[in-house]
Amino acid sequence: MKPEIAAQLEGYQDMLQLAQAAEILGEDFRTEKGAVATYLERLHPARLSLRVSRIRTETPSTKTFRMVPVDGVLPPFQAGQYVSLHVEIDGIRTNRPLSIASPPTQSGYYDLTVKRVPGGLVSNYLLDNLQAGDRLVSSGPDGCFVYNPLLHGNRLVFIAGGSGITPFMSMIRETCDRGLDRQITLIYGNRSEDDVIYHAALTGLAEAHPNFTYVPVIEKPGPGYTGETGFMTGELMERVTGDLSGAMVYLCGPSAMYDFCLGELQARQVLARRIRREMFGPPVHVSQCPGWPADISEDQSFAVSIVGGPVVTARAGTPLLTTFEQAGLAPPSQCRSGECSLCRTRVLKGRVFQPAGVPLRQSDREQGYVHCCVSYPLEDLEVLIEAKG
Amino acid sequence: MEHYDAVVIGAGNAGLTAGAALAQGDAKVLVLERHNIPGGCATSFCRGRFEFEVALHQLSGVGTPEKPGPLRMTLDQLGVMDQLDFMPMSDLYHVIIPGKLDILLEPDRARATATLQRHFPAEADNIEAFIDLVYKVFGEVIGAFYFKDPEVHPDKYPLYFQYGLKPLQAVLDQHFRDPLLKTALTPYWTYMGLPPSRLSFIDMAAMLFAYIEFLPYHLKGGSQALSNALASRIVACGGKVRYSCPVEKILVENGRVAGVRTADGETIQTGQVVSNASKIATYIDMLEPDQVPEAVWGEMKRTSIGPSAFTLYLGLDQPPEALGISSSTNFILGHTDADAVYDQMKNLEIDHRDGMMMTCYTLIDPGFSPPGTSQVALITLKFGDAWLQVPPAQYAAEKYRLADAMLQKAEEVFPGLRDHIEEMEIATPITHMRYLDTPRGAIYGFEKHIKDSPVFLPNRAHIDGLFLAGGWAGPNGFQPTLEAGFKTGRAVLRRLGK
Ligand SMILES: Cc1cc2nc3c(=O)[nH]c(=O)nc-3n(C[C@H](O)[C@H](O)[C@H](O)COP(=O)(O)OP(=O)(O)OC[C@H]3O[C@@H](n4cnc5c(N)ncnc54)[C@H](O)[C@@H]3O)c2cc1C
Ligand code: FES
Repeated sequence: MKPEIAAQLEGYQDMLQLAQAAEILGEDFRTEKGAVATYLERLHPARLSLRVSRIRTETPSTKTFRMVPVDGVLPPFQAGQYVSLHVEIDGIRTNRPLSIASPPTQSGYYDLTVKRVPGGLVSNYLLDNLQAGDRLVSSGPDGCFVYNPLLHGNRLVFIAGGSGITPFMSMIRETCDRGLDRQITLIYGNRSEDDVIYHAALTGLAEAHPNFTYVPVIEKPGPGYTGETGFMTGELMERVTGDLSGAMVYLCGPSAMYDFCLGELQARQVLARRIRREMFGPPVHVSQCPGWPADISEDQSFAVSIVGGPVVTARAGTPLLTTFEQAGLAPPSQCRSGECSLCRTRVLKGRVFQPAGVPLRQSDREQGYVHCCVSYPLEDLEVLIEAKG
Repeated sequence: MEHYDAVVIGAGNAGLTAGAALAQGDAKVLVLERHNIPGGCATSFCRGRFEFEVALHQLSGVGTPEKPGPLRMTLDQLGVMDQLDFMPMSDLYHVIIPGKLDILLEPDRARATATLQRHFPAEADNIEAFIDLVYKVFGEVIGAFYFKDPEVHPDKYPLYFQYGLKPLQAVLDQHFRDPLLKTALTPYWTYMGLPPSRLSFIDMAAMLFAYIEFLPYHLKGGSQALSNALASRIVACGGKVRYSCPVEKILVENGRVAGVRTADGETIQTGQVVSNASKIATYIDMLEPDQVPEAVWGEMKRTSIGPSAFTLYLGLDQPPEALGISSSTNFILGHTDADAVYDQMKNLEIDHRDGMMMTCYTLIDPGFSPPGTSQVALITLKFGDAWLQVPPAQYAAEKYRLADAMLQKAEEVFPGLRDHIEEMEIATPITHMRYLDTPRGAIYGFEKHIKDSPVFLPNRAHIDGLFLAGGWAGPNGFQPTLEAGFKTGRAVLRRLGK
């Protein structure tokens, strides 16, 4: 509309004056330069620069790496969250999510506890190579496996298996350090007594804090062991917690533990909303997941043709993300458990296996998008990778 | 070095329709998005067994195949209609002030009028007159602007010239006495972020007209389905979309756009850039001060940054009926003073002064949450400023504290809600700032006060080859931004001679 016509709008002069006044009195947004990035850097930095300040051997297969910031301060986090540690091993760039084991009350460092996974790439590398003084980059803290004060109440049952103790360690220490009104029972399963991480610390905390109960469970104990043995059954849970109803149950550990414990909890009518579980990495043996086709072995390999890139060979039992990393073409990733959706990749042709319960957006599923950190090829594939790691 | 006919910064609504228009028009186009998924606001996320819609409450301008609205026509031209499953909503809205007001309107002119008249019999004629004015004024707007009449003139469009710059409040006061009635007619002001005293009557008329005539819609799979369909259309037409790829700089040579540089240091050559990022980020962060004409700063000084929002996304382990939720779109207010609500938007606290909207998606699409459950979003507008003063170490605790306050409000209308929450995610202005990269987490771009109308501030290009499209460069909301991107894409095609 031409100005002389617009000027005939009722109230035009008044509004024009208002606009002109604002042009003199209004805010100069040039002062906003970098403002968003600066604030977010304090709260949700995308990357952290960390240095190993101290290494502590926890068990024959486990060490704790104390990480301090190279410069600046560490961002706050909620007990139960993780960072994803970036490494480059033999030219392959990859990362691994590690729960922060230290409490959020400790803002000077993050303790990352790493357990050796037989044949595992990163755990072995970290345990065998990392020295005090080494520098590493990680993601900022992230994850939803946290206490919700509005919903979870004050009776908490933590069920941990193996390295799954780490997020609980942070929650337990926070509760004890700050004297929070939470009644915690930790049931912690391990194969042998040698595998129990933080045993002394947990025993000490339980002695000093009446609101924290520690129940180690050993699957195959040595002679002379007197504690709980076998699996973490519902019977055991009920016996040591008194009553499961009204409690909030948290699970963190290997996928086989989930399959077993979730069944036990469901059999005792524990409601879905009273159970939280951490997505703790891809299954160790995907072919043992329900729904895996019987006629395909993990060692079978398939040709994956990447649009605009090479054709790579992919092992059925290896997550596609790992295959892409080996080819140097991986999308960014962080949780490696199917949860954060960062590694979203489109499968144009061919079938992939995705374990049940991995969250995927409805419209992504319809278009063939998968979270490639928990997707396994079941035949030759054609994939479109639209992000660079 | 890579070269493209056009580069689109940001895969929000406008970036996607711009990209699709360009790709479809045979331009070699690249869309760069900093997040790992297309959509911007138009997205969803998963928690447990739930998928949560982030931003879409009611899609306007769709209409039916027989009586298509402008958005349906745009999406049709972009070739994505066959991929989308639109679901009309049976409610226009349900407006509630506990103990004082409880009205459910349907998206039908006659029925909505009758319902209002039943509740406010003394003002039956005024209601008729107001609705009539809404339709007449908007009819003129369509004739003058939608059909691009070259001769817009007061004699031809008298109502437009009389009401075009009037505050909504003035028109309400002229028609009605009962403050409850004024409230019942105008809860949609929250879709614009400005109370009736600051919002133009025309903007409200446009919303009421668009929702009543073309029905409010939702779509299967939520707004992510639309974003995915558009992104996939770009790729199918030979364009490229790259995710997790923020643009850091727009490169300018001799006053013309020459390319962009991404955060990982890659330079991409192009003569045409469409920025769907905020106007502030585009001019202030992506360009050097000496590349920006002085006029831009004046233009931006005229406006102010609009609100962000505090949102609770809830996955409940009961179906809506069991929780007493019977309508999909609910505005829950504490009183009739919209100006007080607007003032309260600057406050961190959430209490009886706030207005709140509650959308229950399961009532629109039972398939959008698992059987026997419901998905609900509770949202109240909040400016980001107060949140930016929360020290990072206090942030999580503040989030929970205010979520608690929000739940208390919701439970006044839906008692027992809290006992059925299986999944909960809390989004603050900081969350929006993180995912959209907008200053102060603003979700509606700049404020659209009457003085900021295109009459005084047209969306002009200031740098040769740089186009802005989206909620910061024009009207906000799904329909406007989707249409704006499409138009911008076509304008770029014309420049490219395609
Ligand atoms: C909670 C909420 C509720 C809403 N409710 C409704 C509703 O019910 N109805 C309605 O019509 N509207 C609603 N809206 C508004 C609507 O979602 C927006 O108006 C619309 O989506 C804005 O589209 P846009 O094109 O401006 O892009 P945006 O959604 O702002 O997207 C811009 C994109 O650009 C990307 N970007 C930014 N900077 C860069 C960079 N440097 N490099 C690369 N990429 C970049 C961002 O990541 C983002 O993806 C709501 C919004 C929110 C958040
Ligand atoms: S890395 Fe998080 S979903 Fe794959």
